[in-house]
Amino acid sequence: MKRISALLLALVLLMSLAACGGGGAKQSAAPAPASESKAEGAAPAEGTPADSAASEWAPTENVTIIVAYKAGSGTDNTARVLTAYAEKYIGKPVIIENLEGGSGSIGWTALQQAEPDGHTLGFLNLPNFNSSITEGLADYTVDDFTAICNHVTETSVVLVKADSQFNTLEDLVQYAKEHPGELKASTNGKRASNHIGAQMLANTAEFQYVDVPYGGTADQLLALRQGEVDFSVAKVADFASFTSEVKILGVFAADRLPELPDVPTVGEQGYYDKWLGSSRCIAAPAGVSEDVVAFYAKAFEQIMQDPDYLKAAEAAGITTDYQGPLDTAAMVWQQQEFAEDLESAWGA
Amino acid sequence: MLETLFLMGQGFINALSPMNLLFAAAGTAIGIVIGCLPGLSAAMGVALLLPMTFTMAPETGLIVLGAIYCGAIFGGSISAILIHTPGTPASAATAIEGYQLTLRGKAGKALAVACFSSFCGGLLSCISLYFFAPLLAQLAMKFGSPEYFWLSVFGLTIIAGVSSKSMVKGLMSGAFGLLLSTIGMDPIEGAKRFMFGQASLYEGINTTCALIGLFSMSQVLILAETKIKERAKAAKFTDKIALTGSEIKRLTPTILRSWVIGNLIGILPGAGASIACFMGYNAARQFSKHKEEFGHGSIEGVAGPEAANNAVTGGSLIPMLTLGIPGESVTAVLMGGLIIQGLQPGPELFTRYAPMTYTFFAGFVLVQFFMLGIGLLGCRGFAQISRLSDAILIPSVAVLCVVGSFAIHKNFTDVVIMMIFGIIGYMVRKFGLNPAAIVLALILGPIGEKGLRRSLVLSGGSPAILFSTPVCWVLIGLCVFGILSPIFMNRVEQKSLEQAGGGDIVAPMED
Repeated sequence: MKRISALLLALVLLMSLAACGGGGAKQSAAPAPASESKAEGAAPAEGTPADSAASEWAPTENVTIIVAYKAGSGTDNTARVLTAYAEKYIGKPVIIENLEGGSGSIGWTALQQAEPDGHTLGFLNLPNFNSSITEGLADYTVDDFTAICNHVTETSVVLVKADSQFNTLEDLVQYAKEHPGELKASTNGKRASNHIGAQMLANTAEFQYVDVPYGGTADQLLALRQGEVDFSVAKVADFASFTSEVKILGVFAADRLPELPDVPTVGEQGYYDKWLGSSRCIAAPAGVSEDVVAFYAKAFEQIMQDPDYLKAAEAAGITTDYQGPLDTAAMVWQQQEFAEDLESAWGA
Repeated sequence: MLETLFLMGQGFINALSPMNLLFAAAGTAIGIVIGCLPGLSAAMGVALLLPMTFTMAPETGLIVLGAIYCGAIFGGSISAILIHTPGTPASAATAIEGYQLTLRGKAGKALAVACFSSFCGGLLSCISLYFFAPLLAQLAMKFGSPEYFWLSVFGLTIIAGVSSKSMVKGLMSGAFGLLLSTIGMDPIEGAKRFMFGQASLYEGINTTCALIGLFSMSQVLILAETKIKERAKAAKFTDKIALTGSEIKRLTPTILRSWVIGNLIGILPGAGASIACFMGYNAARQFSKHKEEFGHGSIEGVAGPEAANNAVTGGSLIPMLTLGIPGESVTAVLMGGLIIQGLQPGPELFTRYAPMTYTFFAGFVLVQFFMLGIGLLGCRGFAQISRLSDAILIPSVAVLCVVGSFAIHKNFTDVVIMMIFGIIGYMVRKFGLNPAAIVLALILGPIGEKGLRRSLVLSGGSPAILFSTPVCWVLIGLCVFGILSPIFMNRVEQKSLEQAGGGDIVAPMED
């Protein structure tokens, strides 16, 4: 009996080793097939449009995609819907690795340090990725990554509770101006994406408010539903399960959203008139070859046009927005500049 | 109403399909294994297996995930009882009495009690899931920032309960835990506190890491020091696994109390099983008729936390399913699973998708029975671990500690943190401080801090907001009760001991 239990324990030990073996083994990946193209930052090498189909590179082993947030998070869910259809086009299973912590910086550091052999990719969440750089949470810069394509773009909106006294953004701004510092907005964290939205509105409409950080979008919106705060800025997918409990007063975009044709943009009403929101794009560590970028850009473009994927994405409320390597790189840089310029926005 | 009952019945018929039964059984077994391995928590188990459920029917996928959830919460108690290594933070309180029972050679009994209480807790929580979900969901909406502050204060009063030997040392342990909980990003201003340039500390000290270090690694050190002494005692293995009628009768009030506690805590977003198990333990202790057994291995001390943490499972599903609020990490993953299947949480789950939802509920009920069956069958086998010689046990647990803390984030920094906590834990136990109080404060600290500081931002600095709602006053009342009752009880106990004429309180192994 004693021997059996010893065996049992050994088995348990083995299993637990196997459970985390995935992470350990990965570092010893095959040598980079092409390390000649040196780091060019987020901008991919010249002349790698998505349709240069003749690229000969293809993955020879399982592909790992790093998600810098925990399993079950928004990024993780969208990533899983995407990768569920990926094997058909990529030829090898695509495995999601959740490396959460440090506000994303731990996962992105792992991506930066991964072998640039095309077998490790990662999701970059803009603008959180950019603020991890400006806030000094990590040692990487935009130059340490090569953009492949964009996957999801979500636009921010201004929200109030369904029974709020405010029916238009105008109402809200007028009240806020007459009662400076009285309105409260819940945010997903100090200087986090939704705080930026509220601050941009307040800066352009010239009113004062109190921001209350809740550390996460779910808690932030719960506070709005409970009536603890007066308004909030969040992304459309964040409140998909309780749309009837909120009123949308404005959209942070240049044009109205096709899915919300009746909601005016914030700019239309005379305030912040540029797009604000978040994107999730796929990137590789700097130093991957052009062929790798071209291969994945094409593969992901095909996945994002796959009818099965589109059906699943729609059901899950994912706003797919494919953009090629060049556009994505430009977006990463643009968001980086935006994040660096933000310092002045908080001063007010 | 009749229609709903019909849907519920239909759900059971659907859940009883061979496929669902097979997956429920497999999920429960996997969950128990995941749960008893330190470092692999319920949330990780559910997350690891989530991708496999995408290809299943939504209800089958949900049943598998629910099975893993319940299994893991129970499984954590196995290692807590046998090797003083809580497999998940939800079993931290189970280790207190459970391990004492193991030392007395009653590992089998302790496991059976844990299994039976988990089963009862889980099953009872299904009742509220079925019949009171919309009603209880309203409770989650009533809990704002000031309420969370008081909830965490109430949780901290449990320190008084878990540190009966020396209140001062208990308070010192709690204060140390609170201090540790301030490491990381400031929840309001976003300032970095006590991070010393370590990005991995940004989100604070990982509770699981600290737990493994304080409970398990320190245990390894203590065992290595005392070597065979304690083991020799455990080798006389004279327990019966089957619970007698009188034992069940004795456990019933504890289980019912823990059900209410676990269910209510489960409903509150952000609280979760790790707090519930401490509250369950504390309630079991305060109301026990056999107080003298606490600290020396009390079956009520095992039943209390285990029934409470499994009662959380059903409770925590309520706000997720009805309001789309994921209360803790497991339900957040479950919600992700729902969304990927194209199901938005909310009232629609009970109207348009009611057949699927009720099949899931029925599956959740069945899972409890699988848990009881698998758990009881395994008890005898698991219990043998307590008879292993230290030569095998010490290195095995040490390896589990390292592997477990690495597995959390696949990050070596966590292993270092675990090691540091192992040494802290060793010293803490040498000095007679209380590791359970440290963990409790570490879990509750951030909840209390966020609650207090957010309340003050909301009120513009006026503390009146903390006394502004009826729920606040109820919680304040509970706090006062929580502080006064152990003091009062201790006095009564001491008096009765004096009367009995025997002041021979044998100091058992610390904590």
